[in-house]
Amino acid sequence: MMGSSKPDILWSPHHADRYVICDSELSLYRIGAVGTSEAKAGALLLSEETAATLLAINSDTPYMKCVAWYPKHEPECLLAVGQANGRVVLTSLGQSHNSKCKELVGKEFVPKHARQCNTLAWNPVDSNWLAAGLDKHRADFSVLIWDISSKYSPEAVPAEKLRLSGDADSGMVVTKPLYELGQNDACLSLCWLPRDHQKLLLAGMHRNLAIFDLRNTSQKTFVNTKAIQGVTVDPYFQDRVASFFEGQVAIWDLRRFEKPVFTLTEQPKPLTKVAWCPTRMGLLATLTRDSNVIRLYDMQHAPTPIGDETEPTIIERGVQPCSENVISSFAWHPSTQNRMVVVSPNRAMSDFTVFERISLAWSSTTSLMWACGRHLYECTEESTGGGAAEKDIATKMRERAQSRYGHDTVQLWRNHLLAGGTDPQLRSLWYTLHYILHRLSQYTEDLEQRQQGSKQSLIYSGIKNIIKSSSGTTESRRCWKGSDRPTDVAQYHSEERSLALQLCGWISCGPDVDVEPFLKSLEQEGEWERAASVALFNLDIRRAIQILNKGASAEKGDLNLNVVAMALSGYTDEKTSLWREMCSSLRLQLKKPYLCVMFAFLTSEPGSYDAVLYESRVAVRDRVAFACMFLNDNQLPRYIDKLTNEMKEVGNLEGILLTGLTKDGVDLMESYVDRTGDVQTASFCMLRGSTPEVVKDPRVQCWIENYRNLLDAWRFWHKRAEFDIHRSKLDPSSKPLAQVFVSCNFCGKSISFSCSAMPHQGRGFSQYGVSGSPTKSKVTSCPGCRKPLPRCALCLMNMGTPVSACTGTGKSDEKVDLPRDKKLAQFNNWFTWCHNCRHGGHAGHMLSWFRDHSECPVSACTCKCMQLDTTGNLQPSDNV
Amino acid sequence: SAPSPPKKRCTTNEKTQKMELHILEHSLKVASIAKEGIQICTHGLIKLAFLPSKTRCKFFSLTETPEDYTIIVDEDGFKELPQSEYLSVADATWLALNVVSGGGSAASSQPIGVTKIAKSVIAPLADHNISVFMLSTYQTDFILVRERDLPMVMHTLSSEFTLLRVVNGETVAANCSGVTNGFVKPKLVPRPIIHPLSSPSNMFCVTSLDPDTLPSVATLLMDVMFYSGGGKEMGAQNEDSGHIRFFSFSLIEGYISLVMDEQTTRRFPNNVLFTSASGELWKMVRIGGQPLGFDECGIVAQISEPLATADIPAYYISTFKFDHALVSTSLC
Repeated sequence: MMGSSKPDILWSPHHADRYVICDSELSLYRIGAVGTSEAKAGALLLSEETAATLLAINSDTPYMKCVAWYPKHEPECLLAVGQANGRVVLTSLGQSHNSKCKELVGKEFVPKHARQCNTLAWNPVDSNWLAAGLDKHRADFSVLIWDISSKYSPEAVPAEKLRLSGDADSGMVVTKPLYELGQNDACLSLCWLPRDHQKLLLAGMHRNLAIFDLRNTSQKTFVNTKAIQGVTVDPYFQDRVASFFEGQVAIWDLRRFEKPVFTLTEQPKPLTKVAWCPTRMGLLATLTRDSNVIRLYDMQHAPTPIGDETEPTIIERGVQPCSENVISSFAWHPSTQNRMVVVSPNRAMSDFTVFERISLAWSSTTSLMWACGRHLYECTEESTGGGAAEKDIATKMRERAQSRYGHDTVQLWRNHLLAGGTDPQLRSLWYTLHYILHRLSQYTEDLEQRQQGSKQSLIYSGIKNIIKSSSGTTESRRCWKGSDRPTDVAQYHSEERSLALQLCGWISCGPDVDVEPFLKSLEQEGEWERAASVALFNLDIRRAIQILNKGASAEKGDLNLNVVAMALSGYTDEKTSLWREMCSSLRLQLKKPYLCVMFAFLTSEPGSYDAVLYESRVAVRDRVAFACMFLNDNQLPRYIDKLTNEMKEVGNLEGILLTGLTKDGVDLMESYVDRTGDVQTASFCMLRGSTPEVVKDPRVQCWIENYRNLLDAWRFWHKRAEFDIHRSKLDPSSKPLAQVFVSCNFCGKSISFSCSAMPHQGRGFSQYGVSGSPTKSKVTSCPGCRKPLPRCALCLMNMGTPVSACTGTGKSDEKVDLPRDKKLAQFNNWFTWCHNCRHGGHAGHMLSWFRDHSECPVSACTCKCMQLDTTGNLQPSDNV
Repeated sequence: SAPSPPKKRCTTNEKTQKMELHILEHSLKVASIAKEGIQICTHGLIKLAFLPSKTRCKFFSLTETPEDYTIIVDEDGFKELPQSEYLSVADATWLALNVVSGGGSAASSQPIGVTKIAKSVIAPLADHNISVFMLSTYQTDFILVRERDLPMVMHTLSSEFTLLRVVNGETVAANCSGVTNGFVKPKLVPRPIIHPLSSPSNMFCVTSLDPDTLPSVATLLMDVMFYSGGGKEMGAQNEDSGHIRFFSFSLIEGYISLVMDEQTTRRFPNNVLFTSASGELWKMVRIGGQPLGFDECGIVAQISEPLATADIPAYYISTFKFDHALVSTSLC
């Protein structure tokens, strides 16, 4: 409703860019983008992007009380104005060449007794019908429905009356309404019901809402309420109506009209306008007097009234379309979503779009979704094909899980290839683990080895601990190979040092300490510089030069290697030689770290090899091996300790070589996981831990559980199962006890229990397959009492799952397709049943049934078994 | 306050519905201000008439006659008036009754004003010796009865009407727990007109205006109310030509009603006053040679019953000293 001074606003029902501001006059505006030719000088800025241009002003109709825009396309700018004296005048804005419009404009509809016209509403279907709600006048009717096409005024207008009202053209005055309703009452608001255009909802002064049907006006349905202002029908839910009284909005359901479905929280000030959003379901905007806030009520999730107890959930929030300015009125845009124009008492307008709340969701993979209004945005990681940005660790782990990373238990080093083969740390890690296990298997094979037990744990405990236990180190000064010139380089040997060298991969197991196989493998992989430096550290300059020459002549070889070989061949131990001088300074300009450390080794003073040991670009295992050869018993532990701490601090997996799979290793792995989030590598690696204490470490358990959750979240259920199997092999204590048993209907014993006296092991469902009864019995009968097991609801066969021992007889008729070597029966033959209705059958049959049905296969059972299973309708995203 | 709890929900047929009589919650005082004392009251009267947001008054009526100004005002409004020798107040507290639901079908034309309620309300009250004070406005007719007469009024009218009482803005059923003992049986006697009647020559108009436009005609209304009839010679001149000085303004629950003679309406700008098909002119009949007082019963009935019998529309405005009926000229 509109006060005379406060401007109200109306959108054109058909032109999305036009609206009318009405206060003492009607002003038509066109809204457009800022800067377009349409928005010329003098346009009013409504927002950062939009401006309004005044198109026309109509001040022909004084004492306006309410305005309604003709709902049909043509004539487009026809407005009905309700006046203070109850007259309804048709008027238009702007030029119209429509003849129908010319005929209608200026037409007046005059009630018998003058009183304020409170509200107007065009019939949504029969657009000739205009309902006007008037104030009370004695016993007169308060709702008059005018036919705007009626051409005559049947009662002769008294001359006296004409003189008083100043009407000259009586032909334009209509005094006979089509219908009269609501005797003896005032009408404060009304609306046509969109479900049935012959029905009208009226709100009267005498505290009632009434529905009239024009086909029988003496009948009405009514309810008493104070909320009689601003009745308005939800455009999306035509049985839902809002009305208000002072500060409170009542929401009605016309199907249950006895009382409001609910009322919204009361506002401290009286409401002036309540409007449903035409572009968004269940969104109601309300405005109170002298307020700068429009309150929005989102009834999106409000349930339709079922019981009296249902509490609707309504999300309430306020928006301030023009900061501190008081809002006089607002109007939703008819088509643009959530957009409205608000007008302040001084006629300042602003264009405003209510921003929808954004909901955001991560997928279990790396994509991100967010929804705003009707838009749904998906954001996925761009696969730039090895581009600049490194892939997220979750993507990496997912890819690695798919390539069965971690599952190569024989050749552990291959796991780094399964991980993509690009990460040097993973490479180092898996090689370390490989060497550890390899060395370990050597020990186990060689049972005669003494101190086997202690050695075994020592191997796990890393080079740091191996070195500490070192004793009986011998010092030797070897000659350069192929020359009898002695070096002044001291080399150290001990059993522990050679074990360390083995773990570093430089030498293989056994008594011989030949690095040649290692050099060969490096040559094969094309690691020329590394091979050359390893050869050099083993005091074989010729071999080193040979390797470099090979490297230079190899395919895609670096010819510079020949130059390096040349430089190398000029080696002299003369302290003051030019060679030495140049090499020690120029080596720093070498880009390749291994070439750099070669010259550093050759030019360093005996016993001080910091230039080699602290060259961080050289692999840890090579530096450690170097240290094991050339550092004495004092220097070596210090160096190893220092390096270990450094590795632990940065979480470098190469450090596992030093720490082993000990508590120290867990610390290192912790900082690695903290840095990368790679719980996958951590889980696989730590399951290999030497002692149960390491695996039991809460951090390790946490990584494992998180990795399992990740697999579940990716719907990699088969991978999860595989991992669990892998885990239970390495950590038998992780096997859970059976949690579900199938018991016989007759004897009550578990059908799997009877066949073994042992407590059950293995996971859940696997139990049902294992009925390896030594006394041969049919799989479809209870092993305890020999009574038949329940029948499958679909194939009506008795259930029961064979085990390999039984299938060997070839008796199982329908299960001939079972591979003989499978220990467990195929999943298709497993028992399944609904926990709700307790019906069930073979898993395969059940699955195929529920692919096409939602209800239980047992006739007369309406249980929607599959829908009760939250994961039942999900498909695994990995395939076996 | 929450919307009122559901009281009834029904599908009704209006033809069979009983008429409703609302007993309004205003406690009213009826007072007279002598012409010569009007200036000491204008401060309060202007506030009551033109500045409704400044008072809590919901019911205010001012009627000027040649004799005095009659004020009908609720308790909140009464506080705005000064104690003065010029102000005489009728001793009783009055309650306003209002007939609401009109029976009758949608098609038949309704009788206007007191004619409609003459037989159903006014005559039965007269039969039971209940004195009434009438105030017709543009919007409706108020029947004022003394508060102390209310049980009798309810008893009298309960057969004809559904009685509803307004309490704190809520309309609730009023139960007349029928203590019928001790009520005098009505004497159904003929009611001759016993007071002298006179009819001035000027014609009257019953009209209204939009409260929003009130400020724009406030100075004119002040002039009409307080300054136009004042001069002795002017009044004499009017009486010479057979004209009577009569103007009534009421502001009741937000609605404005005006009764003024045709000459006065011409002083208003076009389209401010509500005029319409019923905007015809009315002839005044003044009842009483001597001041009528407040105790005599049946005066309204004497006039309205014959009018109702003849189906002549009429308004009726009681003032402190005399009564005034306005009758339709079209049937005179």
